[in-house]
Amino acid sequence: MSESGSDGGKWLDAHYDPVASLYTFSSCVDLADLSGDGESRLVVGDLGSGSSGMKLKVFRGTALMSESTLLDLPAGLVAFFMDLHEPRIPAVAVASGPCIYVYKNLRPYFKFTLPSLEVNTLEQDVWQQVREGQIDPPTLKEMLESIRMKADVPLSVRSLRFLSLDTSDMGEYVQLHKQQPIRRQTVITCIGTLKKSTADEDGVSCLVIGTECSDVYILDPEAFIVLYKMSLPAAPTLMDVTGQYDVEFRITVACRNGNIYILRRESDKPKYCIELASHPVGLVRVGKIVVVGCADESLQGFTQKGKKLWRIVLPAPIITMAAMDLPTRGFQAVLVGLANCEVQLYREKNLLSTIKTPDVVTSICFGRYGREDGTLIMTTKGGGLMVKILKRTAVFDDRDSSAGPPLAQSVRLNVPKKTKLYVDQTLRERENGLAMHRAFQMDLSRLRLAAAKAYVKALESSLTPMSSSLTEPLKMNAVVQGLGPSFKLTLNVQNTAACRPVMNLAVSFLYDENLYRMRNPYMRIPLLVPGLIYPIETFVECTSDRGISDIIKVFILTKGRSSPLLTAHINMPVSEGLTLN
Amino acid sequence: MGLFDKLAGWLGLKKEVNVLCLGLDNSGKTTIINQLKPTNAQAQDIVPTIGFSIEKFKTSSLSFTVFDMSGQGRYRNLWEHYYKEGQAIIFVIDSADKLRMVVAKEELDTLLNHPDIKHRRIPILFFANKMDVRDALSSVKVSQLLCLENIKDKPWHICATNALKGEGLQEGVDWLQDQIKTMRT
Repeated sequence: MSESGSDGGKWLDAHYDPVASLYTFSSCVDLADLSGDGESRLVVGDLGSGSSGMKLKVFRGTALMSESTLLDLPAGLVAFFMDLHEPRIPAVAVASGPCIYVYKNLRPYFKFTLPSLEVNTLEQDVWQQVREGQIDPPTLKEMLESIRMKADVPLSVRSLRFLSLDTSDMGEYVQLHKQQPIRRQTVITCIGTLKKSTADEDGVSCLVIGTECSDVYILDPEAFIVLYKMSLPAAPTLMDVTGQYDVEFRITVACRNGNIYILRRESDKPKYCIELASHPVGLVRVGKIVVVGCADESLQGFTQKGKKLWRIVLPAPIITMAAMDLPTRGFQAVLVGLANCEVQLYREKNLLSTIKTPDVVTSICFGRYGREDGTLIMTTKGGGLMVKILKRTAVFDDRDSSAGPPLAQSVRLNVPKKTKLYVDQTLRERENGLAMHRAFQMDLSRLRLAAAKAYVKALESSLTPMSSSLTEPLKMNAVVQGLGPSFKLTLNVQNTAACRPVMNLAVSFLYDENLYRMRNPYMRIPLLVPGLIYPIETFVECTSDRGISDIIKVFILTKGRSSPLLTAHINMPVSEGLTLN
Repeated sequence: MGLFDKLAGWLGLKKEVNVLCLGLDNSGKTTIINQLKPTNAQAQDIVPTIGFSIEKFKTSSLSFTVFDMSGQGRYRNLWEHYYKEGQAIIFVIDSADKLRMVVAKEELDTLLNHPDIKHRRIPILFFANKMDVRDALSSVKVSQLLCLENIKDKPWHICATNALKGEGLQEGVDWLQDQIKTMRT
């Protein structure tokens, strides 16, 4: 268990497999109790290499439990309850291409294909003529291109494919396909679930699908018929559904034109529209707030009616987003996977914690996995699978990171009442303001002059224990040890220059010869290496028995200068030795 | 063992010991306690424990009172209220649940660092349960994952068990009984 500092040790690292070869996005990951034993499994629609190896994988704990091959790239995956049978085992719906594959007990159960679209009649006529051999491929190409330019109904995939071919391949392509009738089909771009009539956790859900031709369908879970169809101005890419089909529902759709539309029951056109400055890359609903991640590295919050609440700037582009909902603790937040290998957790606009990941996270799923409610499952760009469990004791403190007036500003100060004295003083100050200011300025100037004079005097007589000379920067302090009559005097001399040694120094003492006797009142100081402290010791004997003390002056002298470099005054202690005798 | 204890033993009076049975949900605590009870008192169906339940059973020389605590996340904060009373701890681990081994370790660390436990030399018996499950971890692996070798100031012992059949339980209980006896004398 490693605890990274930034997430404050809130997550336990339950599992990390960097080579799980799981390549997927948040829309293709879901958690569901697929065997009805109270242990949730992880269901993943694996995109494989993008052209092959698409699989539906199911994980239990740390191990892969089952995998089955998918025919096409999955666009979305949801687990949902399609009936009321006991035991309550959810089905898995995988959207790929124009179809939804429904799995029950991890076995293929049903395939739903979107209703085919109206085919351009002109296009149909042209292909009819091809079948009868009336026109050759180059003419066909010409005619199809002219239809494409002006027709209201777009061409079918077959015609579009034909137009993109080289002239040499056209004949073969026409031979291969001309006998089949033309069909125009759309593909599914996103999928979600909508509870049918109850808000229960295990209530029957309808599938909600968004298609490339800008429609949103709601499907009946048992009969798989289209219950409701709504149209959007652009192709949907991300979808969030809330509510119940029979009561009231709200579908929030992010579209490819950079807008977000909000659809509601009893209206087949969008009710509200949010126009974004940048394209949406993530859409999550937290309670009543729609959180949108945009391509301009920002996270924005909107009300359900499309009113903008806040916007924050993120440190890196958003890769994926997911909701973190922990109903047992009443905690809701948004997880944002960023391109700088971080997953950040936001409650509204406040950053709660950051998880550092070894690789860029491409899909995030939070929920109950196994028997643990607060499990965070992430897959990485390199195909890794990471499982983290929220600690039971973890607490996210909601510190408001936004800049604004500090809390103390709104606290009222306890201002005392104005007294008579206060009012009089204020009046006096108001009347004599100029004179008071002048008097203050004069005193201040005098004080500065006095201080400067004292400083100059000290410098001139070298009274300071710090040498001001640039050539011999010295520092000294003195220590007196002993009770008397004999004292030990230690001078600690230090050369504070950066690299230059100091030579030819001497120490001399000035003292009252009636009181003290010194063994050697003049000493030479050796060469001082910069930085080191040199202790210079001497002994002082107090000759008086009257219990008085005096000052001993210490001078540091240099050769060829009459004034000392440093002066120190040592207050000698009273000799206790003699009085004891 | 003192003379009085011997006397009490002859008279059939057994010393009472309070034991806490802890572990994550679905690790098999209640099943283990159920196996240790006399055959006629055993329950047929084991259901998830809510809060806690008190069970009693006897061994050759001791009378155990077991606080069978619920392991569910929302009840785990109840554990610490019983630490003071406990004279020994049985910690049950689901050896087949590799994913939640970190959660078990986290709960064990919290337990060992609790002020009511930290400075007491109370014996801890680990049951690495569910050995019958196909890819269950061995007891050595479990003790590695839980870093049991770091417990230096308390006697501990780990047993591989299968609570459904009762395999391995007696060995653990015998160890616990010995430890409690040596603690008393």
